[in-house]
Amino acid sequence: MYKYNFLYELKLLLRSGWMQILSLLLLGLFCFATINGDQKVKKRKQDIHLAKAEVKESDANMLSLLDSIENGMEVSASRWTIPSSPTAVGNYHPRVAAMDSQPLSFVSTGQSDLFTHYVKPTMTGDDFTLNFTEIISPVQQLFGSFDLAFVIVYLLPLIIIAFSYNILSAERESGSLKLLASQPILIHTWVFQKISLRFFWTLILTAIILTIVFLFLASGSNFNGLFNVIIITTAYILFWFALAFVVNLRVGNSSKNAIVLLGLWVVFVLLVPSVINQLGNTLYPMPSRTLMINKMRSLKEEAIEKQDEILDNFLRDHPEYAINDPNQNRKFYHRYLASQKLVKEELEPVALEFEQQLERQQALISKFRWLSPSIIAQESLNMLSGTSTADYEDYRKQVIRFAEIWRDHLTPLLYNNEPFTSNDYPELPSFNYQPIKLQNNIVSSLIIMMVSIGIGCIGYIVALRGNASKLIVS
Amino acid sequence: MITTDNLTKQYGETIVLNQLNLSIGANEIYCLLGANGAGKTTTINLLLGFIKPTSGSAFINGLCVSEDYIKTKQYLAYIPENLMLYPTLTAVENLKYFSGIGGKNLNKSQSEDFLNEAGLQKNAFNQRISTFSKGMRQKVGISIALAKDAKSLLLDEPTSGLDPKSSNEFGQLLHKLKDNGVSILMATHDLFRAKDTGTHIGIMKNGELRQEYATKDISLPELEQAYLEAMNYKELVS
Repeated sequence: MYKYNFLYELKLLLRSGWMQILSLLLLGLFCFATINGDQKVKKRKQDIHLAKAEVKESDANMLSLLDSIENGMEVSASRWTIPSSPTAVGNYHPRVAAMDSQPLSFVSTGQSDLFTHYVKPTMTGDDFTLNFTEIISPVQQLFGSFDLAFVIVYLLPLIIIAFSYNILSAERESGSLKLLASQPILIHTWVFQKISLRFFWTLILTAIILTIVFLFLASGSNFNGLFNVIIITTAYILFWFALAFVVNLRVGNSSKNAIVLLGLWVVFVLLVPSVINQLGNTLYPMPSRTLMINKMRSLKEEAIEKQDEILDNFLRDHPEYAINDPNQNRKFYHRYLASQKLVKEELEPVALEFEQQLERQQALISKFRWLSPSIIAQESLNMLSGTSTADYEDYRKQVIRFAEIWRDHLTPLLYNNEPFTSNDYPELPSFNYQPIKLQNNIVSSLIIMMVSIGIGCIGYIVALRGNASKLIVS
Repeated sequence: MITTDNLTKQYGETIVLNQLNLSIGANEIYCLLGANGAGKTTTINLLLGFIKPTSGSAFINGLCVSEDYIKTKQYLAYIPENLMLYPTLTAVENLKYFSGIGGKNLNKSQSEDFLNEAGLQKNAFNQRISTFSKGMRQKVGISIALAKDAKSLLLDEPTSGLDPKSSNEFGQLLHKLKDNGVSILMATHDLFRAKDTGTHIGIMKNGELRQEYATKDISLPELEQAYLEAMNYKELVS
């Protein structure tokens, strides 16, 4: 039976034009999404490249000024931007801390329109106010723009629904089911074969089209990445075909099947992620960022009033700075940095609460993500692309660490009242983004596959034990 | 051989088939006559195993339909009132598909032989079913039964909507099958066709088999009279 179903199902699909429509639709969507994703990645790379070029130009300017100063020449620059001052270097010649794109970033671009993927931490800037707004809402992070992940997670299920909602009901409605059922076959098995063939063809087409777009449209893609995307997509496609199989056996006419399947799409793709997001926000509400900034401002004001006292305490804690400067020539930035350190220490609990709530939200989402294969698929694709919440969180921590390194590198020069010279330039720290190690998402894909097979088996057994006549005579 | 033993089907309080006893041997065409709702199609659905009997049993070639659901279908062919085949496949392809999923592999020449035997014109063999008339589709249905080498054939109003010529051709095909040893049960409204085609006739009303006749023992007017009486159409009888 399988051979005939396979052969004639393909003939029927080709002659009805379904295969052609499906191929063109998938090709169109995947091509557009890949080009779109690739454009966003190129824009991201270009933004980072421009930022780095700007730093290079600024550095050349700085070195030229330093050369003039070191040769005893007058320079025409504002006093506070002259690069012999360590604070001028720290504030006006910052390094670019960029989150470089990964080879598969085009698959899931995240919300790169909101997030520029690079920051420039300065010596006297506040680490807490660095712009990392994207990771405030972790579930929001899950849904990006019109990229491959969007097509796979949102649109592919709709195509599968249109392709499989009426496998049995169409036969019943056209009148051919009774003739089929009069053959020595189990109608459940026939439906299973028919739907598994459609799954097979959808998968083959998707895999071929993904290979084409990876090879010809995406820059920087690789075979391993393609394999991973195909595995995730296979698991996700299987899940939707398993649902369609059960609905075909359990529900009734074509319109009811379509409504039930679309309802399931709304639940798994839209509702469950939204409910989990809402649950996360309700159980672990994020502290107000505005309140944190206000608190920081009031702490700063308080610190300004007590700057001399704060500086004295700071120098007591850092006798190495006091010893090296017999003149004890202390200016604005000495006081400012000392008070900033204090403000940072005072703000630590607020920032910690912010981070802890974020972690709690992440843990909650991680726990409940198994309720929807759409979340798992999106998360897996984000992880492959290096645009997952974990990636942004790790990048944020790397930037904060780098901001400290940058500040700590220039602070001794400031407190020792030593000038920054061209000899110090090569020693300036630079930021090297270290992407987190790619986690294996094969396991979660395998779990989705097992669950899908389980759903299919349960549906098959229940239908087999139920009243078979309902399938044929309605 | 088609047999039913006190075959009964009940939906809630409504009895749609009441203790039907039938025995249709090889070389017999049994025509079930009756108005809409008499229980003809229910009988066929029970013999096909599409619905389960409330009590009693149906047998095909001595095998109980409820117990040997798949096996009984190996000996059984069925042609519904509106035979719907796959419109985008040709006659040969439809025949090969329905035979194939039933486990019978046909090559092209075998398929053409069966279609030819069923009386389909040669130029229609490789045409898509969407271009076929109802009569032509019924012939493809017969060819599926021939290919299956079915020992029993169930027909549900097969000639309704056919023109007299096609209907006559269909009757001749059934006779050919009967002569080859096939047991045929045909549900119909058509008294003339039943008298012309059948070897036996049963009249059903409200799920019960009211009368049975051997066709050779009854004339068409007598059959008509008996049918109208059985249906209680008194004004028409007078």
